[in-house]
Amino acid sequence: MQLASKVHQAADFNAVQELYHSNGWTDGLPIVPPTAEAVEACLEWAMMPAEQLIGVEPVRERPITVEKLAINAVMAGCLPMHFPVVIAAVTAMMQPEFLLHGATASTGGCAVMLVLNGPIRQELSACPTFNVLGASDRATTAIGRALRLILINVFDVRPGGIDRSTIGHPGKISYCLAEDEDDSNWLSLAEQNDIPKEASAVTVMAAGAPRQIMNEWTTEPREILETFAAEIRANMRHYSIWPGNYAIIVPQQLRRHLQKVGWSKADVQEFIFERARIHRREWAEVGKGSVVRDRGDTVYPAMASPDQLLVIAAGGPAGGFGAVIPPWLGHKSHAVTMAIGICLDCEPPRT
Amino acid sequence: MTLQVLDPSSEMATELGNPAPRLASLQGKTVGFISNGKEGTVGYFSHLDKMLRDEFGVADVIVRVKSNYSAPADPAIVAEISRWDAVISGLGD
Repeated sequence: MQLASKVHQAADFNAVQELYHSNGWTDGLPIVPPTAEAVEACLEWAMMPAEQLIGVEPVRERPITVEKLAINAVMAGCLPMHFPVVIAAVTAMMQPEFLLHGATASTGGCAVMLVLNGPIRQELSACPTFNVLGASDRATTAIGRALRLILINVFDVRPGGIDRSTIGHPGKISYCLAEDEDDSNWLSLAEQNDIPKEASAVTVMAAGAPRQIMNEWTTEPREILETFAAEIRANMRHYSIWPGNYAIIVPQQLRRHLQKVGWSKADVQEFIFERARIHRREWAEVGKGSVVRDRGDTVYPAMASPDQLLVIAAGGPAGGFGAVIPPWLGHKSHAVTMAIGICLDCEPPRT
Repeated sequence: MTLQVLDPSSEMATELGNPAPRLASLQGKTVGFISNGKEGTVGYFSHLDKMLRDEFGVADVIVRVKSNYSAPADPAIVAEISRWDAVISGLGD
């Protein structure tokens, strides 16, 4: 296999670390040396030639090849079997509606969150339960880190360079989770986006830091979901009022209460859509009175429509702890779901 | 044993644009503002507008607002730039 990337020589493992750190090619953590053998193994697993074009970064018209993604995936600790997820995620991030440049350059400092659906979760031993937002397993941690290294090295999204995040958040290190489809009778996030259950998929979202909630004091769906809605309202007061893709993580204990009385994901979306909204005048209560102006009575919903809420089944089996994950900045960037390794709407070849 | 490792960067230097020739004076010129449209831009650019006219003798100030403040300027705005003598593209927050 012919690789186009420049080859560097290093005396040993430690010299590799210093070479990569000194060139600004890492996130500060040690990297796995990206040898030609390791990179080729990723490309072979994905059955793609090194020069395969994933897309062209629109702002600087930079072609993105699969070889560069593979090098960074190896550095992040990915195994070849993880690599198709990385390819699908970067492809999704490069869709116009994701607005990759804005999302990664903004002072707002979001991170790219990935959600895995379908059989690939089990093939990769991704853990959708305990510690699901806290580096729960090898696959999700390495895949999430791969995206960050790709942003740094292939897209030049380095702190202080294109990345202008004022504070950022820890999800930038790695922000990847699998949905718990096996312990849920809900449609998966991918199924809600018209991807068959038998197919694997990844969803990317320009996401703020998770805001943890807790409600173990009721079994009533409306009360449980009111806690999520209240956290969204808090985000709208303290951070951004603009509607967009919010995500909520609903753990098993809370799902049981909802599913026992027949609440579907669509019911959850509809309820929170109605409850997660604030008046602009509320900004005056949190120190933002100067921009209320004459629009105090205007009502702002957190989502433009119920389906903008991503409902994700995930988390350990005990505890009424969930999370609200806010959008980077309202509707500027839209979550994108993409099937992994297949094309669902491709035309058959013409003969 | 020497390790041979691959370069993870794009290996593509971003082409830097050449600065336009400097104007000797702003007197009688047309200056365009490309605003990102955020809350702070209104006061910021209106102050600059007044300053350019009052202190530098600028003849005309044109303000254009991007449709999405997190995306590059709209093609229609970029197409207009060639009709201006100078352009100021700035943040307002």
